[in-house]
Amino acid sequence: MTAVDNKTSSAPVKYSAQQRTRAERIKDHMRNEWRIYAMLLPTVVWLVVFLYKPMYGLQIAFKDYSIFRGVAASPWIGLEHFENLIGFDWSALGTADPFWTNGNQQFLRALRNTIYISMYSLLIGFPVPILLALMFNEVLNQSFKRTAQTIVYLPHFISSVIIAGIVITTFSPSVGIVNTILTWLGFEPIYFLTRPEWFRPIFIGTTIWQEAGFQSIVYLAAIAGVSPTLYESAVVDGASRWQMMWKITIPSILPTIIIMLIIRIGNMLEVSFEMIIVLYQPATYETADVVNTFIYRQGLQSGQYDFAAAAGLFNAIVAFVLVMSANAISKRYSRTSLW
Amino acid sequence: MSGVKLDSIVKAYGALQVVHGIDLNVNEKEFVVLVGPSGCGKSTTLRMIAGLEEISDGQLTIDGRVMNRVAPKDRDVAMVFQNYALYPHLNVADNIAFGLRIRKESAKTIDASIEEVGNILGLTEYMDRRPADLSGGQRQRVAMGRAIVRRPKVFLFDEPLSNLDAKLRTQMRAEIKRLHKRLGATSIYVTHDQVEAMTLADRIVVMNDGRIEQIGTPMELFLNPANAFVAGFLGAPPMNQITATIADGGNGPVAEFPGGSLALAPLPDLQNAVGKSVIVGIRPEYAQTVTEPGPGSVSCDLDLVETLGSEALLHMSLGNKPFVIRTETLGNIARLNSVNGFTADPELIKVFDADTGLALSGQTRAA
Repeated sequence: MTAVDNKTSSAPVKYSAQQRTRAERIKDHMRNEWRIYAMLLPTVVWLVVFLYKPMYGLQIAFKDYSIFRGVAASPWIGLEHFENLIGFDWSALGTADPFWTNGNQQFLRALRNTIYISMYSLLIGFPVPILLALMFNEVLNQSFKRTAQTIVYLPHFISSVIIAGIVITTFSPSVGIVNTILTWLGFEPIYFLTRPEWFRPIFIGTTIWQEAGFQSIVYLAAIAGVSPTLYESAVVDGASRWQMMWKITIPSILPTIIIMLIIRIGNMLEVSFEMIIVLYQPATYETADVVNTFIYRQGLQSGQYDFAAAAGLFNAIVAFVLVMSANAISKRYSRTSLW
Repeated sequence: MSGVKLDSIVKAYGALQVVHGIDLNVNEKEFVVLVGPSGCGKSTTLRMIAGLEEISDGQLTIDGRVMNRVAPKDRDVAMVFQNYALYPHLNVADNIAFGLRIRKESAKTIDASIEEVGNILGLTEYMDRRPADLSGGQRQRVAMGRAIVRRPKVFLFDEPLSNLDAKLRTQMRAEIKRLHKRLGATSIYVTHDQVEAMTLADRIVVMNDGRIEQIGTPMELFLNPANAFVAGFLGAPPMNQITATIADGGNGPVAEFPGGSLALAPLPDLQNAVGKSVIVGIRPEYAQTVTEPGPGSVSCDLDLVETLGSEALLHMSLGNKPFVIRTETLGNIARLNSVNGFTADPELIKVFDADTGLALSGQTRAA
């Protein structure tokens, strides 16, 4: 018997799918379905290049970063940037020294503003697309329905910068329609965009106007998926349109509403950066400055890349915790979850 | 009298007419089945009775009251749908109670009704489950529970068993029959399954292309179909329909085929049709096998024997046309291989006009 024969006879023979390892099964699957994997490739490349590779730079949040030394050569400084951001002194834990300091007041203000704007947007902005979808669903005149849908979808396709321009013009103290009406009614013109108390209502109202119509498409699709026989059965049972909306439509689209809520909570701290940067000004920083605009000013305008990276990472961690919590709560109480 | 009367009912979508003026009287407590191929207008007719489709023309009367413009909820009908139409977010009890809650019945009445329906349909142990946690048969029972809980004047069933497997369908068919006997409510049932129609109906309405082809008891339709369509639709396997010429056989009319001739019943219609080309209909179970064809039988070639246990289907060729015979095996399949012809009782042979498809043989045997 030759050596080759020996090797062949002693090799383990795999008879069934159960005996093959997971890696072997995946390999076989990739070989058989290579076209599907080929279609997946561009997305994987995009994710790696634009989302995963930049994560390498996240380490500067823990370093005293210098663009001359580069990312790798900059010295590690631990959580110092985070301590400065939120005013928490880790080294004081277990000692008599106070571990809460003042922190970076600008960051804390931006964080507070981000939370306020996000909360208001969620409370006011989240139900609006649902209401719009329910209203569209009740409209029987198809041409009116199509026209109205087009009108409410349109702002989504306009750049945020142009939307901000429209807002600036609308609320302009000299030529804006709002102040013109106020003047007609005998009031003094209001410098809306320089008054901190007006920034949040204007910003939240604008983002709702821009996005609510487009977001309603998801709910309209969910409503379209409700079996028509449920409504027919309810009609025979004697339900009115209002009862059908409450007892059939809303419960039927509830899983979609929950999924959208989880996604929304995950993105809660991602306040529309472009629009704020165009709309805000130092006079309204008190209510308008959010974490993203703070990062922009610190990182790009002041060159404190490491400090800005720490602020961004902090933002991302809070968002991650939020989305995980929302998903867990939803999974436990409504049997609906993202994963 | 909670009967239903359809008087020249028409349904049109713009210029397209799909139901062409049908007339039907459903008596109180009667179980009527509308049967026909897909697209024949049976479901549309049922939906017009329910009020889910507008009636384009004609008059619908329920319990003596014209219902054309009456809202579905005021017609006092209940409908069971093909896909059950159960609310996925509600449990069985809430699904059953839905109609009562909409009508603002008292909690006491609702609880009592749910319990009663649960007992009738054997659903008491599933009351807390949601539809997703039920089997197909249980879901269909809940759907029926939703219908019966309101005690409507008329029950409408729109192919309620078509989503079930064959075994469950047989079981549910018996349950529907039992339920109808117990409740005695007027019922209109739509199906494309002729077995359901034959087993459930007091009367069957055969529809085709938006028109009623024939109305009658299951056996009337089976034995004396009004035309070739009804003859071909009812029965499994369907009635064999072969082109033949009527000749004078001396003692009465005979049907001449390429492989022989068969004596026909001596009916005036047939005697007057001598020399005419007709369609002869013979049900597979009424054809008798022959191994040595002679006068009064037709010779044909055996293609295939399908064994069903106690019975077998013999697939024959008559000229180039298929002809099926259903016969008993008597425990000896081999003897069937020698079959090379058939004959039939003249009274059980149906003859249809080759041009109009209408029966020429009239009623040869009482149902």
